[in-house]
Amino acid sequence: MARVVDTLDLAAPRLPSVAGRRRSAAARFIRRQPLGSAGVVLVAALLATAVLADVLATHDPVRTSSHVLAAPSADFWLGTDNLGRDLYSRVVHGSRISLAIGLASTLLGAVLGGFIGLVSGYVGGTTDLLIQRVMDIMQALPILVLALVLAAALGPSLPNAIVAISIPIVPRAARLIRASVLAIRELAYVEAARALGVRHPRVALRHILPNTMGPFIVLITAQLGGSILVEAALSFLGLGIPEPYPSWGRMLSIAAAEYAEKAPWLVIWPGLAISLAVFGTNLLGDALRDTLDPRLRGS
Amino acid sequence: MRGYVAKRLLIALVTLVGMSMVIFSLMRLAPGNIVDVIFESAGYVDQADKRLLERELGVDRPIPVQYARWIGELLQGDLGKSYRYDMRAWTIIKPRLPVTLELAGLALLFSIVLGVPAGVVSAARQNRPIDYVLRVLSLAGLSMPSFWLGMVIILLFVRSLGWMPSVTYVSPFEDLRANLWQFVVPALAVGYRSSALIMRITRSAMLEVMREDYIRTARAKGQRGTLVVWRHALKNASLPVITLIGIEVAFLIGGLVVTETVFNLPGVARYLVDAIQFRDYPVVQNLVMFIAIVVVLANLTVDVLYAWVDPRIKYGKA
Amino acid sequence: MPLRRSVRLAPIALLLVIAVSLPVPAQTPKSGGVLRTHPLSAPPSLSPHEESTIATVQPASACYNNLIYFDPAKKQEGEGTIIPELAERWSWQDGHRNLVFLLRKNVKWHDGKPFTSQDVKYTFDAVRGAPDAAAKLRVNPRKLWYDNVEHIETPDPHTVVFRLKRPQPSLLLMLASGYSPVYPAHVPLADLKTKCVGTGPFKLKEYRPGEFVELERNPDYFVKGRPYLDGVKWVIVKDRSTQIAALQAGQLDVAGSGWNKANWETAKSGKPDLVTIEASSNVNVNVLVNFKKPPMTDPRVRQAVNLALDRKAYQAGPALGAATFGGAMLPRPAGVWGLPEAEVAKLPGMGDAAKQKTQAKKLLADAGFGASNPLKLTVSTRAIAIYVDPASWMVDQLRQIGVDAVLEQIETGVWHPKMTRLDFQVALNLTGIGIDDPDANFFENFKCGSQRNFSGYCSEDIDRLMVQQSQTLDRAARLKLVNEIDRRLQHEGARPVLGWGKQFYAHWPYVKAFPLHDNSIYNTSRYQDVWLDK
Repeated sequence: MARVVDTLDLAAPRLPSVAGRRRSAAARFIRRQPLGSAGVVLVAALLATAVLADVLATHDPVRTSSHVLAAPSADFWLGTDNLGRDLYSRVVHGSRISLAIGLASTLLGAVLGGFIGLVSGYVGGTTDLLIQRVMDIMQALPILVLALVLAAALGPSLPNAIVAISIPIVPRAARLIRASVLAIRELAYVEAARALGVRHPRVALRHILPNTMGPFIVLITAQLGGSILVEAALSFLGLGIPEPYPSWGRMLSIAAAEYAEKAPWLVIWPGLAISLAVFGTNLLGDALRDTLDPRLRGS
Repeated sequence: MRGYVAKRLLIALVTLVGMSMVIFSLMRLAPGNIVDVIFESAGYVDQADKRLLERELGVDRPIPVQYARWIGELLQGDLGKSYRYDMRAWTIIKPRLPVTLELAGLALLFSIVLGVPAGVVSAARQNRPIDYVLRVLSLAGLSMPSFWLGMVIILLFVRSLGWMPSVTYVSPFEDLRANLWQFVVPALAVGYRSSALIMRITRSAMLEVMREDYIRTARAKGQRGTLVVWRHALKNASLPVITLIGIEVAFLIGGLVVTETVFNLPGVARYLVDAIQFRDYPVVQNLVMFIAIVVVLANLTVDVLYAWVDPRIKYGKA
Repeated sequence: MPLRRSVRLAPIALLLVIAVSLPVPAQTPKSGGVLRTHPLSAPPSLSPHEESTIATVQPASACYNNLIYFDPAKKQEGEGTIIPELAERWSWQDGHRNLVFLLRKNVKWHDGKPFTSQDVKYTFDAVRGAPDAAAKLRVNPRKLWYDNVEHIETPDPHTVVFRLKRPQPSLLLMLASGYSPVYPAHVPLADLKTKCVGTGPFKLKEYRPGEFVELERNPDYFVKGRPYLDGVKWVIVKDRSTQIAALQAGQLDVAGSGWNKANWETAKSGKPDLVTIEASSNVNVNVLVNFKKPPMTDPRVRQAVNLALDRKAYQAGPALGAATFGGAMLPRPAGVWGLPEAEVAKLPGMGDAAKQKTQAKKLLADAGFGASNPLKLTVSTRAIAIYVDPASWMVDQLRQIGVDAVLEQIETGVWHPKMTRLDFQVALNLTGIGIDDPDANFFENFKCGSQRNFSGYCSEDIDRLMVQQSQTLDRAARLKLVNEIDRRLQHEGARPVLGWGKQFYAHWPYVKAFPLHDNSIYNTSRYQDVWLDK
């Protein structure tokens, strides 16, 4: 496992300052990464929808009506579900839930994991070995199973769902940051700082951490899609966000399939929304990784 | 080689022990102790039964003793009792194993058959149209929720093609045709996602390898492009791909949970979801451990295969 | 030549006229075939006495017999449709205080042992929780049905006497319910959860938890020539879209347990050949109100919640147009004890929606809630679609009167205990009543301290009336009392009813004599008269 991750790992970030390179990196990005640019557009659309949900929606997503299983019309742009709720408004508001939960759990997992990786890589020795083993163990379990068990043990609620989805990200983040740290730790200027008597935490924070930002951003973008998918799966299985908050995953729960003959739009649109959101983050993640690490360009 | 295998075996064992501890503690995260939970969900009413349950589950003993008891039972192959159905868990799991195994096996097969050639082609024709198309297709596969893919497939197949497999499991030994009819579509649904992952890794591994000097030399020497790619690159790129299959297993199991639910297949993964929903905790504990063992074993096998293919690789390089 | 042709044609025409006008002779049932159908959900066990779900009663009914049963062929159950099963004759003695059953002779259990009156005493002593019972049920949901039984006597191997504390005509009907089979005294109760040993028309062939329950013909059944079927297979199919598709593909012969109108229409539109049948169901969607926990302790808040739930919107939305309305008892004409229609139309939630919502807001304001201090309510429900859908609707209705409502989904496994503990504020619940009889409904759901009184509702007055109606022999007088109880329950908002449901079944034309009753879902799954015209 370690070998493959090394191939994909972003080991050596650039020094000493990243700022100057940013502008030219952006231009290079758009030229060379048509797919990545598409990703940017999709992610921007997702963000915009989530932020402007109240404006973009035409109805209250929770409001029921007597127009049950209605076909798309001028009033209900994408039709209604079996309780007469407007599907379009629910999909629009669902973006908020998916993005919020996806971001929250990814950030939580990445920050926690990053911190563990930082400590593990910097301190080294037995601590490192021990932490590595624990991370291996966490990574060995399938994400969904882990999230399922956690959600079941903690109970289905918003904060519990976020925790359950963030846990599988911790080992991945830890591994990534640790690899970065290992690479930078040995560099001359860090040794010089130590020699000058700069204390460990300061070295870690001021010198090492900023240079792991690149891989960190890539990790977050890459894992965001995964988090959205896990949340969808949990909601689909009934263990995710409770009603009445519209969650794309829950809109697709088995119940939607039973009305699929009469109202196929109930199955198509929420799933398409999830797919596009995750597709966008994946494209963006790929492109960012390609740009920030020239070694892997072209792969 | 022997030393390498021994080392990996040790790592695997340590990982398993660690996982068992994690699983054991996870199950006790739930508010209230495990007896309370079972007591309620199995519908008991009489308080006297609670003490019987406590003794049966060994909850009245200290935690390390409970843990040791559980491990002891597992080693003897005792998967515990389902309190919901009032039966030994093994009786319920046994007929479901062939279903999950067949689904997983077919899905793995599809993922390799679809993913590896796609990755090779994509790498060989890097940045050409076919590369972009394949990359988009594979990324789409990774972006779609597997249960949604399943539902859309069912919608299409049932409505337009009239595909309706048997509602009950048909063994391949009874009726191979009906069995395949039942499994091919869900296996494709799970396999598509896994194939996307394999495709990406194959592609990047191939690209890495193709940059190597000896490939360039071989090309300069005039050997036909495709031949070079297939013979040299593939052989060396196979290492990370093989390793990926180990990670694949974990990825696959997640897909199985959802796919068995959507396609109504009576497998072990669906039983896990049932058991979780009914708080049949002893069963959940054992099933998750079972899954962990499968994953660790798969990774171990892969690691050994890896070493067998490339004896230069030894543990410690990472 | 014209004359000759008409002469030739005349006898044919005559025959045709005769053929068309003659009554069609009843078809002779054919033997053979296996009926494939699906239960409502995966049965938690095979023991009806220990479960409260039809999912268990469905497969288990084929395997057991009762003392008496409701005639499958008569759509509306009642005292007049009771037929003998293990009991050949019965009679009330002593002013409805003693019920004597004369049992059938030469009946054998599926394992060959003979059936005697001891089995009856064993079963019902266990169910009523008699102190000297030979066996104890681990869970006993219908203990209250037999609360009035003082003693069960077996003067000889083929006679059983139920001695009651006071007259109770309803006991006969309760014994005819699918929830009242007779268990074998020689088989441990724990075994009956995973296998069934009965005297019924079918024996258990194989039970795979979560997959199917397969039953095969009992060749030694005491009704000669029955059952017609070779077997019954209850295939557990989790979601309704698959149930519909399986029926349409011919993999199921009958389907519909738990279906709503939309499912029914989908099935039929795909395959117009299917025979669709409809009946009322003795299942209602109701709101559990926790009388012991603020804020629902305040009658104004309770009334406001009830008023906010617009029954017409419920009809159009979650009920998909198929609900009937009434009080605590199944409304007429399907039920015989329901409140008169004129009264039902005046119940809270039945009137003008806008007016009632305004009324509700005012009541909340009186109780101290408003825009600056909104009432926060958690609506709890079971985490399955038939509960979650109406509960989501309910949350929306509450939000329309300014209540800050959220939904809490509780897994099936912990639902009942949570309700029993009164660990909720309001809950959306479904209640299926075993038989259309006040005794089977009131004691279980509204008596002070009953385990299944999920509201903590307690009124000594009502308790007294309950007992009074239970021993009233005159039908008209009893109806008056029952309506009075119902009226009061509705007035106090003790479990407001959103609507009563309907059953929607579909089967292929070759399935004959498939029973469906108008006032219960629990008492038709024996299937001993069903046959396949194949």
